[in-house]
Amino acid sequence: MVVGESMHRQTLVRVGFIVILGVSWAFPAWAGVPTDKVKETADKIIAIVSDPSLKDPAQSKQRRERIRRTVDELCDWEEMSRRSLGRHWAQRTDQEKKEFVLLFGQLLERTYIDKVEGYSGEKVNYLGERIDGDYAEVDVKFVTNKNTEIPVIYRMRAKDQKWWVYDMVIEGVSLVNNYRTQFSDIMAKSSFEGLMKKLREKSAE
Amino acid sequence: MKRIGLVFVIAILCFVSLEAESSGQSTATDAPKNGFGAQGVELASIQLASLKEASAEEEETEAVESSGETVPDPLEPMNRAFFEFNDRLYFWMLKPVATGYKTVVPEEARMCVRNFFHNLSFPVRFVNNLLQGKFFGAFEETCGFLVNSAVGLGGLADIATAVELKRHEEDLGQTLAVYGSGPAFYINWPFFGPSTLRDTFGMAGDIFLDPLTYLGDFWYAPYSRGLNVVNETSLRIGDYESLKKAALDPYVALRDAYYQNRLSKIKE
Repeated sequence: MVVGESMHRQTLVRVGFIVILGVSWAFPAWAGVPTDKVKETADKIIAIVSDPSLKDPAQSKQRRERIRRTVDELCDWEEMSRRSLGRHWAQRTDQEKKEFVLLFGQLLERTYIDKVEGYSGEKVNYLGERIDGDYAEVDVKFVTNKNTEIPVIYRMRAKDQKWWVYDMVIEGVSLVNNYRTQFSDIMAKSSFEGLMKKLREKSAE
Repeated sequence: MKRIGLVFVIAILCFVSLEAESSGQSTATDAPKNGFGAQGVELASIQLASLKEASAEEEETEAVESSGETVPDPLEPMNRAFFEFNDRLYFWMLKPVATGYKTVVPEEARMCVRNFFHNLSFPVRFVNNLLQGKFFGAFEETCGFLVNSAVGLGGLADIATAVELKRHEEDLGQTLAVYGSGPAFYINWPFFGPSTLRDTFGMAGDIFLDPLTYLGDFWYAPYSRGLNVVNETSLRIGDYESLKKAALDPYVALRDAYYQNRLSKIKE
């Protein structure tokens, strides 16, 4: 009787152990849920752009700075740069990579901030997510007040125990693919230096 | 409001199924009767399954290195010239006209104009859904058209979206792609903008399915299409500007955005 019970308990413990192991393997709990990360950032940004105390044009700089800091917590600029340069990335020196990430990140950030500054009550619907190891996709639908639906997919990667966005697919158009096509076209016609020159001009605009 | 719309849709569904049963002789393009809804659902679930597979595959390759497909552009010098032309056309003519129109016509009215033209082009979507074997899509588009035409005052109000009838935007370019045609090469038309050889044939064919082509006298179509373009532009002022602002080469950025967007529409 006693022996049987302890055997039973042992089996239970073993099964429990396997189950816990299985679950922790399937869901990397440390990284949290990708959708939550996107939602958290989107909510913060909506709060900033709807904040009446920041609406004043005099506050514009501070407002942009706060959006910038929030976006920095979501986007992996280096990963975006690496993927946008594609096979050219490996051929660059560390110095070149650093400058490229800085300039390209600034361009993306500015584009993004311009977009969200025009926020006028668009609704954000979270439709679902797919996780595959360290990679995830979060499906979002923005509904504008003109009733237009804009489907957006956030492509994310787990790094340093967090989920980071490395690409956004807006109405089927991947941001990274779009820039990669532009970059490789520019580099085919001139050079990496030519691309950097264009990037510098763009950030000085 | 929503409930009334829903009741109406259900009534139409009943009417449609009764009609299909009573009229024994249906035309060749009609979907097989009785199995109408069931077949649609089946098709939808098959599509969903294949979509899931596709996305899983995509993620695998994504993990290695997302390989960018690009559209061939042998006519680039000509296309770039037309791009410049369209750019000027937009900033010097279309945008000022649309801005003036926007100040005169309130947004609600412009939304109605958009809805009206969208509803009117129903035959294009209906036929192309059928040609691609998307019977449920054709069915849902028909419901949307009937609801908007009857309840939505001839299409001025988009009741279909309000009662959650989905849109199935299909055109002949996509149909040709489903039948196995590649894009051939990129063409940036003056006035019409980004296209490919395949999509140009598609656009030309779709004109024959567009009721605007047949309504009224000869001048009716160009005038109404002009109104449609100005109206659409007035609802999208700023989109092209932000594309240009974000791009290092706006011509390539637009070409790639067009191509990627078409690929995703074909896959749907």
